[in-house]
Parts: sequence; structure tokens; C-alpha cells
Amino acid sequence: MNKPLIIGSVAYTPAVITIWEGIREYFSDSAIDMDFVLFSNYGRQVDALLAGHVDIAWNTNLAWVRTVLQTDGQCRALAQRDTDTVFQTLFVARAGSALTGLESVRGRRLALGSQDSAQAAILPVHYLREAGLGEGDVELLRINTDVGKHGDTGRSELDALRAVMDDKADAAALGINTWEAIGRDELMPGAFEVFWQSPTYSHCNFTALPTLSDERAQPWVDHLLAMDFDNPAHRPILEMEGLRQWVLPQLDGYASLFEAVKEQGVSPRW
Amino acid sequence: MVNPALILDLVEHTSRLLLGQTVTVSLGGTDQEQNGELVAGWCARTGNELVELRDGVAMVRRGRRPDPFADLAPDQLPGTRLWIYTNFDCNLACDYCCVRSSPQTARRALGADRVRQLATEAVEAGVSELILTGGEPFLLPDLDDLVASCTTALPTTLLTNAMLFRGRRLDMLRRMDRERLTLQVSLDSATPELHDRHRGTGSWQRAVTGVRTAQAEGFRVRVAATLEPDRIIDLAPFRSFLDDLGIDREDQVIRALAHRGAADSGLELTMESLIPEVTITADGVYWHPVSAEDDDQLVTRTLFPLRDAIEETRRLFILHRTRADAAAQWFPCA
Repeated sequence: MNKPLIIGSVAYTPAVITIWEGIREYFSDSAIDMDFVLFSNYGRQVDALLAGHVDIAWNTNLAWVRTVLQTDGQCRALAQRDTDTVFQTLFVARAGSALTGLESVRGRRLALGSQDSAQAAILPVHYLREAGLGEGDVELLRINTDVGKHGDTGRSELDALRAVMDDKADAAALGINTWEAIGRDELMPGAFEVFWQSPTYSHCNFTALPTLSDERAQPWVDHLLAMDFDNPAHRPILEMEGLRQWVLPQLDGYASLFEAVKEQGVSPRW
Repeated sequence: MVNPALILDLVEHTSRLLLGQTVTVSLGGTDQEQNGELVAGWCARTGNELVELRDGVAMVRRGRRPDPFADLAPDQLPGTRLWIYTNFDCNLACDYCCVRSSPQTARRALGADRVRQLATEAVEAGVSELILTGGEPFLLPDLDDLVASCTTALPTTLLTNAMLFRGRRLDMLRRMDRERLTLQVSLDSATPELHDRHRGTGSWQRAVTGVRTAQAEGFRVRVAATLEPDRIIDLAPFRSFLDDLGIDREDQVIRALAHRGAADSGLELTMESLIPEVTITADGVYWHPVSAEDDDQLVTRTLFPLRDAIEETRRLFILHRTRADAAAQWFPCA
């Protein structure tokens, strides 16, 4: 009997247990034996991947970048969600704020999510720098309410929006998933509006080391990609995980985060 | 003006829930109606369920509620079968009768008109089988007309102790539709002792004779036994007796005694633990035939329209299941 493939995932919400038990059950119908291990944060998970305790890690984009940096680029991405290929960061303000683009944030207060959130902290600072706004040009209000989970809980982004409501900040940076979760600007017209949105970039992926052979990895990827949104047995898991289709990774989408990590001196570990 | 913080709270709180768990959020002191609509809109958009809005608080479930009927067999769906208590008075006084029927029990008859209306509305409401029970229905002088209105509408089962198939009552039996009617006879044992102990001396022999009479008249006969829970073991001799009596195995119904009515022991059955079988009496609509005179299982006093009575039963079933699920979440085994 083959050794099971061990997948690592971070338990940023109790639903992660349901999701992975569902995926394991889906794989139980195949010839591929898999199990999962949950971690409390991405630092521990990446350490476990590097130490060989897990075969594949379900990584955020920052965890992917850090794994690449710690393996000198030897690791590889196996798959990601369709939604991971078109992730975006949005800059949001109160409706009627007259903010019109990144330049308009100059001299204003911007609420950022947790410091290790690519979408709500690292990339927003990168976009500001690309727009010519350096340190001192924008007053940053950092809200580090879910450090270690790379912004997965969304809590720091909700807190950033609360800061805007409470007039502690003029604008907030958040991921498009949080914007969708609050119903965009359609549920509460007149509350918030997006005044800038980033180009699309890649978010999570399944990361493996070269020690995982193609013979073991490929059947797992093939079966993962075969999950079908139209299949009632698969759909609840896909909905909970926030995708319609697993897809092959788009590595070009990580370029902006590699640049951001380099220019901001973000540590390659933790 | 709606309260945007409400949605932020909802997103945060529901994200911490397992699928199916609920959370409550305050709608705030002002504009509660508008905020309620906001929560409803958010739930509809995000695939969550607004359980209820009450007293300024919204209860939201993460994800959609699973289909409460999904675990039921098709014939268990509330409203698939319709039970109709035709009278309540009886020629026997069984010591465990769930509705305390006896010769002294006052007749509480639905009457031919209401039974006819029930049968007609049952078809429209999607009922697939009617089940008539007494007391003893053969005490009714117009039972044949009443049964005819049922069998014309739907396949029908008539519960009887089979002790009165003589003279005028046998003539009534002979006028019933053999293709659409099944007779269900109460018979508790392979020998007279146990049956007669609960139902009266000589009742076993007359019931067996009645089964044979009905079979000879060309009716399909089902036998239903009511046994104390600790007696539902070693049923082979009883089944063998029923086989010899010509009762198909699928028509041999053996069920445990319920602690209801005149019974001083038996299974405790509550609305929470009992899948409903919509039951109509002259007094109202009840959850189940075993509780057809118990206020704790009264669904509504209003019989018509029947569709509404069935719908109310289903609504209560969903409510009980939801509460049971919630209780299960609150009281894990460890």
C-alpha cells in the first residue's frame, strides 16, 4: 500500500475541517490515498513542508513566495482555484469621499489589514510605491488582527472598513473576496465605494517540493482538477472553498508580490 | 439609513461558524425593519440563511439548511398518508388503546360529508393513501358509503378488529371495493392468551375468524400487532402463524406499544421523536394516530383546507428537526 499524500492546510476558520474532510472523502473514491494536517499559521505550515512532514501545502501567495525564497526556487506549484488567478486588491472609501485614484490618497489616512496579508497590506503598499507614494506620503493605519494567517480570516480587512466608518481612516485596502462578502456596493448603496482596483494577481496554490515525484503528484492533481461544480456531491466543498474549478497555476501572477516582498524587506521566513 | 457595521459583523461572525451553525446579531436600535431587509439581502446574496428576525435580533445560519425531509423514505414524508379517525367508540376496551376507545366512549364521528371532503382534498394535496380507523369503524351504520368516498379517491386501508363481520355489517363489507381497499386487522399473538389479556376474552378467536371471513370475501388483509417493547423478540412463531393464516410477510406489521391513551407503559413518543403522520379527527388535526386525542400533539383545530393542515404539520416537523439539530450542536457527546 502506498504512503498517503499528506496535505497541509491552515485552519483559519472551523469550516476548514469540513472542507478537508470533504476533499479527503472525495479522494477516498479514487486510488489515491490522501490525508491532511491542519496548522495554526502559515509559518508552521511552510516549515513542515520544508521538513518533509507534509507533501503538499495549501499556501497563500505570501507562503508561496516565502517557500520559493527558502528553496531557491526549487519548489513548484501544482494547482490553484480559478478565483486565485484573478485576485485583486481594492481601495475603498466612504461613498462621496471624492477619492479618485492612488494619487488621491496622498496626505490621507489608509487602513491596511494584517501585516502579512498580501492583499490588504503588502501589495497595497507596493501599488502606492508604483504610483509614486512613498513613506510619509500616506498615513498608514495598520490593523494586525489576524497575523500568521496571511489575511485569510478577513477580520483585519473588516476592521479596516470599520476604521473608515469610524472616521479613523479615509480609505481601506482589502481583497476582492472581502468586498464580495459584504455585497460589494450593491447591498449598502451609499456606504462604501471602490476608487481604485489593482491588476489581477495570483493568490493561493498547492505547493510541493522536488522530493515529491511526478508519479505521486500528478494523479492527485488530475483527480483534484476533476472535481465538478455541477456535481451535487462536490459542490458544497467547492462553494465553501470559494471556487468553481481547480485549475493549473498561473505563476506570472506572483510577480508583483515577489517585487513587493523584495522592496519592503519582508522576511523570507514567517 | 442602514447600518453597514451590521454586515461587517455578519461577515466576521459567520466566517467563524461551521456550516449549519447559527449566529445572532443585533439589528440596532433604529431602522430595524430596514436593517432586517439588509440582513435578508446579504443572506440571499451570500448563500446563507436568515433563520428569523425577532425582537431586534437576526439569527443567521451559515450555509443553507439541509433538506429536513432528505433522510425520510418517500412514504414517510408528512402528508403522504392521511389518517382519518372515523368515530372513536369501539366494541372493545383494549387496556392499551392509544385513544382510550371503548363501548363507553362517546362517538366523535367525522361524518360522511367531512370524510368525502377530506378524500377529495387529499387528492389535491398530494396524499397517496387514506387510512381509516375507529375506535371500531364497523360500528358506523354508513361505513360503506364513507369507505366508498375514500376508495373512489385513493387507495384506502381500513383498520378493524374484524369481530363484527356478520349480518348487516357483513353486507357493508361486501359492498366495499376489493381492488382499492385493504383491511388491517389487530391481532397480537399466535395464541389467544396474550391477545385476550389486553383485548378481552374470546376476542382473539373472533378476530382470526374475521380475518378468514375477509379473505374469503376477496379482501387483502394486513395484520397489525401491538406488543410491549420487551416482547418484540423471538417473533418467528407469530410470523409462522400469520404465514399459515395467509398473511403476506409485507402485510405483517409488528409495532411497539406506545405510552399513550390507556396504556400505562410503552414507548414515550413526542413530536420531537416521532415522524408525523397527518391525522384527522372530529376534534382537529393531530401529529400522529397514536396521539389523536392528546393536546400536546394537536397541530390545529382547523381541518380545512386540508392542504394547509398538512403544510402546518410539515412546518412543525421542520421546526422540531431544526431545534433538535441545534440542541445536538449545543450538547456534543464529550
